[in-house]
Amino acid sequence: MTVPGDPHGGASGTAKGTLMTLDRVAVVSSAQTELRPAWSGAQHIDLISAVVAQVFKGTGLTLEDVDFVFDSGSDVLDGRSISNCGFLGAMGAHHKEESRVEEDGLWAAQYGVTKIASGAARVGLIIAYSKPSESETNAFYASQCEPFYQRPVGFDHRAASGLQAQRYLADAALDLSALARVTHQRWSDAARHGKVAIDKVPDEAAVLADVNAAAPLTELMLSRPLDGAVAVLLASEDIARRVARPPVWVTGMGSASDRHAFASRTPGRLEACEAAAAMALRKAGWQAAKADIAEVSASSAASELMVLEALGLAKQGQAISLLDNASTAINRSGGALPADPIMATGLVRLAEAARQLSYPAEYGLSAATSAIVHGAGGVGMQSHCVFTLEV
Amino acid sequence: MLAIPDSWAQDLTTFPSDLSMPYTLTPGRAAGTFVAEVKNRRIVGSRFASGTVVVPAQDFCPNTGDSDPELVEAPHTGTLNGFTQTDAGIIALIRIDGSDVDMTHRILGTALDGLKVGQRVEAVWGDGEGILAIEGFRIAANAPQGEIRPLEAPAKPVEQIPYRLDLHYEHAFGPYYGRLFDEIKTNRRIMGVRTSDGEGALLPPREIDDITHKPTGTWVELKQTGTVRAMSVIHLEFIGQTQPPPYIYAEIMLDGASTRLIHNVGGIDMSRAKELVKPGTRVRAVWREGERTGSLADISHFEVIDGEE
Repeated sequence: MTVPGDPHGGASGTAKGTLMTLDRVAVVSSAQTELRPAWSGAQHIDLISAVVAQVFKGTGLTLEDVDFVFDSGSDVLDGRSISNCGFLGAMGAHHKEESRVEEDGLWAAQYGVTKIASGAARVGLIIAYSKPSESETNAFYASQCEPFYQRPVGFDHRAASGLQAQRYLADAALDLSALARVTHQRWSDAARHGKVAIDKVPDEAAVLADVNAAAPLTELMLSRPLDGAVAVLLASEDIARRVARPPVWVTGMGSASDRHAFASRTPGRLEACEAAAAMALRKAGWQAAKADIAEVSASSAASELMVLEALGLAKQGQAISLLDNASTAINRSGGALPADPIMATGLVRLAEAARQLSYPAEYGLSAATSAIVHGAGGVGMQSHCVFTLEV
Repeated sequence: MLAIPDSWAQDLTTFPSDLSMPYTLTPGRAAGTFVAEVKNRRIVGSRFASGTVVVPAQDFCPNTGDSDPELVEAPHTGTLNGFTQTDAGIIALIRIDGSDVDMTHRILGTALDGLKVGQRVEAVWGDGEGILAIEGFRIAANAPQGEIRPLEAPAKPVEQIPYRLDLHYEHAFGPYYGRLFDEIKTNRRIMGVRTSDGEGALLPPREIDDITHKPTGTWVELKQTGTVRAMSVIHLEFIGQTQPPPYIYAEIMLDGASTRLIHNVGGIDMSRAKELVKPGTRVRAVWREGERTGSLADISHFEVIDGEE
């Protein structure tokens, strides 16, 4: 399909959204590979080109319609510097505007939405990928730690997750069985939807009995790094209305980072997540986080509960009750615990939430008109990005 | 979902690769003074204009971003504010007496089940480098409450700290590189794939044509002769080199290929390199004797073909 008119001629859509006078932007399509412990038979470029080829199907759009390609991945995980340069061809970015966001892909989507909303482009391709199986996830996170005080003493992402969990459980007066419930639930959800390679869903006893990772957390209570790639197609309103059924509008976005030094952050809370959520909700014009769908990222079962509270879906210390009684469908995809393609996890959440809004029945939802999406990055989840979606 | 294309049977599993990156870290005044003084068994902190005290010392306040702190001497005692156990041992959040933020360090001498938040701790001194001059902290029920004092006669800050980051990778070959390197190793053949328009061949081979983003065509064996398209005589020594200079870095278009291969031209009198090798020079692959690695290093270098232009 050819887009009529000057692609740089500015917004032609009606500005009805709450992004002020800017053009409305929608998620029109997404594609992802299966998320596997190791895609040992494929390179990054194989995974990337597969989702780029797939994401156009059914939209009528082609690569020719794409004004820019924004991608997320990690040079440290990839084992090469400026790794996106080697992947340009697979991304379909030959002779196109391309930018790398060295954060989770949800930040790349934030950049892309902003660019389209400003009228500078109409169709954007957002890509995130990960192959942690090729390297050491611990070394990846250690490389993000401060080298004088943190790295030498063995402080790392796992330790941060353990310290977070200890504090959260104490503040919320919960024991480990709560985290085992969360973990089991998420693995069950992921297994039901078939996009994550799962041999066997661990029951709660298996979660509790697994080896220690970062006390009190067992290995299964930490998010599981997986390989995979995801692509999301964003478009301005005029195009989205023609190609998507229905368009999933991005109505709010926010992001924030906490102090780099984990030990200096306010314990027991994810303040940067609260700030990112407040920003997104304000832009969306929502009084509260009353979404039909939530897709959130987390490094551990405890931090998933912390995220749900920071987003405002539950009161402090009470997110566990969402497992029994929630007006929001939370992580029907399984979330990050069974499947954490580091740097792509948040963009997978966006793709999942958009898909659930488009096809609610597939996820056991009678109707759904709004979603809240969350991505995180850094040691102990230093940085957070939040989207609101509406149909 | 991704379909793996049919491929030549290959035995190559992954390509091991190590990155060893040397760094010279500059800790700055606060951390530099901390590192200089911790050898003397003094713990340095920062006091900012707001009154906030941060131990160990930082040049910028983590809460407000304030700079230019007064450096202070912190006590060797504190309180356990949290702890976890990983493969690295017991890692704790410790609030040094008088500090407004926690620090992370190890707990020594007590098992996890003997620890409780709120316990008093004291530093255990060792002879490690930097912060590891404090080996860790131990539970000390009767540790007296310490206080922040002015730092008398501070040592000169350490300005540079040599550092190395070692990262290990096991890269997947994927179906296309897998066949390419398997053929190099087993058959000493260089395989490309036809471009999506069939006009040339891509080396390295890949599933999707970089320019058209269409599927590539059939496999094609490339000639082991080619033409130098660009070259440089490297005299500079730098990290990451696989051979000592001088050597020739060249971009070579193999006959039948539409992409350039980066390799070396050798086997010549290097003092005459600039006159013997130029864009347009015809070259031929020379295979390395001995153990085959299944990498481009199996080609020792390219040699000049005399008499061809």
